[in-house]
Amino acid sequence: MSDMDNPRDPAAPANPGSGGGDSGGRASEHLDEMACLLYIERQLERVRAAEVSTHTQECNGCRTLLRAMERESRLLTRAMLEEDEALPARLAHFQERARRSMQWIWGVAFGLAATGVYALYSGYIEPWEQQLAQAGFGGTSLLNLLIFQGVFWKGWQSVITLLEVVAMLTLGGFGLAFFRKRLRRGSTALALVLTGFCAVGALLTAPPASAQDVRKGETVEIRSDETVKGDVFIFTHRARIDGTVDGDVFLFTQDASVGGHVKGDVIAFVQSLRVSGQVDGNVRAFTNNVTLTGTVTRNLMAFAELVNVDPSGKVGGSVTAFVQSLNLDGQVGRNLFTFVRQGTISGTVDGKIDAKGNNLRFNSSAKVAGPIRFEGDNPPDVSSDAKLASPVQFTKLEHKAKYEESGYYIWQVIWMAAFVLFGLVLFQLMPMFSTEAVDSVEHYGASFGLGVLVFFGVPIASLIACATVVGLFIGISTFFLWYAALYYAQVVVGALVGQWLLGRTREIWPLIGRMAVGVIIVRLCTTVPHVGGWVKFGVMLWGMGAISLALYRRFQPATAAGVPGAPMVSTTLPPNTTIGGAVPA
Amino acid sequence: MSAPGKTEPTEAIARARAGDADAWGELYREYAPAMFRFCRRALPTREDAEDATMEIFMKLRDKLIQYDDTRSFSAWLYKVAANHCWDLLRRRKIRQDKETEDVADIPLEHPDPNQLDKMIEQSTSDEVRKALGKLGARARMALVMRYYSDMSYDEIADALGVRRAFVGVVLLRARHELRQALGDTGAPAAGGAS
Repeated sequence: MSDMDNPRDPAAPANPGSGGGDSGGRASEHLDEMACLLYIERQLERVRAAEVSTHTQECNGCRTLLRAMERESRLLTRAMLEEDEALPARLAHFQERARRSMQWIWGVAFGLAATGVYALYSGYIEPWEQQLAQAGFGGTSLLNLLIFQGVFWKGWQSVITLLEVVAMLTLGGFGLAFFRKRLRRGSTALALVLTGFCAVGALLTAPPASAQDVRKGETVEIRSDETVKGDVFIFTHRARIDGTVDGDVFLFTQDASVGGHVKGDVIAFVQSLRVSGQVDGNVRAFTNNVTLTGTVTRNLMAFAELVNVDPSGKVGGSVTAFVQSLNLDGQVGRNLFTFVRQGTISGTVDGKIDAKGNNLRFNSSAKVAGPIRFEGDNPPDVSSDAKLASPVQFTKLEHKAKYEESGYYIWQVIWMAAFVLFGLVLFQLMPMFSTEAVDSVEHYGASFGLGVLVFFGVPIASLIACATVVGLFIGISTFFLWYAALYYAQVVVGALVGQWLLGRTREIWPLIGRMAVGVIIVRLCTTVPHVGGWVKFGVMLWGMGAISLALYRRFQPATAAGVPGAPMVSTTLPPNTTIGGAVPA
Repeated sequence: MSAPGKTEPTEAIARARAGDADAWGELYREYAPAMFRFCRRALPTREDAEDATMEIFMKLRDKLIQYDDTRSFSAWLYKVAANHCWDLLRRRKIRQDKETEDVADIPLEHPDPNQLDKMIEQSTSDEVRKALGKLGARARMALVMRYYSDMSYDEIADALGVRRAFVGVVLLRARHELRQALGDTGAPAAGGAS
């Protein structure tokens, strides 16, 4: 113990019999309790301690007090250090259980993920894939379709490489963050260097980009006598392609006109696109308006305000259009899928039509070889001269506010019950983790901050993982866990709300009871018109952050491997214990 | 502040920091009983002590990196535990002690040395533990920090948020409370002026 100035506390009790009100007193004066305590605990200055020692040799009363207090200290220490209770089994197996529970979590996670992947594939991806295949997006899988073989990315090897590098850096960053606490000082620099090497390695080993021709300027023109080998990227104000491109054309322009021959695809991010020539591949347009007077051998897909397929326009494959206004006067070789506000069909569709929107009109010159389904606000306007293979199957869209429907409230009750059941199962399966997650909810700032990060970051990371070497499975599994966490988040926040109302508890069944009460309240809040959605969003962020925080703590390095029941440890007196210190003679 | 003859678990700490789960298991096995006993003395109920012990070890995962190798590990551990328990008690608002300034103003009755000696002679460890449970949060916390984990006055002042000069006052008042509680449990009271 360090030496200490004589505190001379005003509160130091004086010895009524001594007449010495000073806490320390002088050698000739009787000692008060404070002086005795500080002496026993070696908190007095050397000189003062010597005075106390001298006094106690002479004064029987003070010596008795000092010894009594010293014995009191011994008694206190002995009483505290005695092993009167064995380590509770809950603590003895605390870490082993934690380890086991985590194994369980992983088992459940992978099981759920596998189930989810199957359900996703069979329920959503496969049907979409079939539809997309019909629309001309050939490919062996959705990933190939979207990333590797799809026309969106064809020729964008450099972009894929960039994504890979970003993913590598992201993984490196995660790794660095994960191992940061394990790394001794100085090793952080080493880790950074390693991460840098990984990134550089990824860049060096990336396959070289295919032949590309990048053209910029106020106006870019490929003349009719010009032939471009490979893909061409055009960044300009006005683009005019009258020549031949033996590859894909990527347009980033205000106005673009394709009057020549493109042997690949045309990917256009333009305000106005006019295709009067021939495109052997597909046209993918993200534009204000598209006008097709020429020929597209494969498919046309457009996100646009206006799409016009003139009478001379011809699409060999399918047309997929998300547009405000569609005028189809030309010919479509296969199907038409469209979300449209105002659609007018005057041309020929050799396949089927699936449309959703406000109005759809079939003029007298319209010819449709396949079935027609229209889901809209108004019945389709079909000319009596139109040649349709079958009548239009019309389904009227209903825009009734969900709050006005009784079914909405029934479903809310069902959802509440489902949430309570979901929470019950999770709290039973993972009692410790659930408790930790509920505790973490109370770290408001950390939970919200982490929640925002995870809410937006994980889907992006999953997407990146899907697009790179990390693999589709990890990406989709992560996404499903994230999705499940959205629901779990509401459960843990509900548990906290329940604890606010009914008091705290560490026992699992009382906690489940509180969770049930809290979940009902949270769900009720989320049904409030106009603000309910925001409440739900906030709860999701909050709860997801708490779950992430609890997970983060679980994944800290300190989780031990199987620890057997902790044996009793005989704790002897600490060496600095003052008991047995300077005892007066 | 480690026990006599007990060497510091330097290697286990280093390995635990590096992510070795077995090393962390060693540390847990070694220190969990003592930590539980600390919490058991400091907190009102056994359940609280169990929860707190787990929470302290969870917290240690984050804090292990902050541990200074040159200091005693057990001392550091007790400091973390003390801060955790005191925070817990404060959060629950069961802190019934008055503020330091108030404490300073309340005069303490001087004990009769012989009567005190007799009371201590007759008191058992079990009685002391029971009496300890009757004390106010701060008094109990101060005694536990001092006589269980042998924390210095500076550390106690830091944990309790009082000035160092008042630690002695807090401890003395705690002893008085304890004597009173022991008197209530049957042991002869040591109060009264000599």
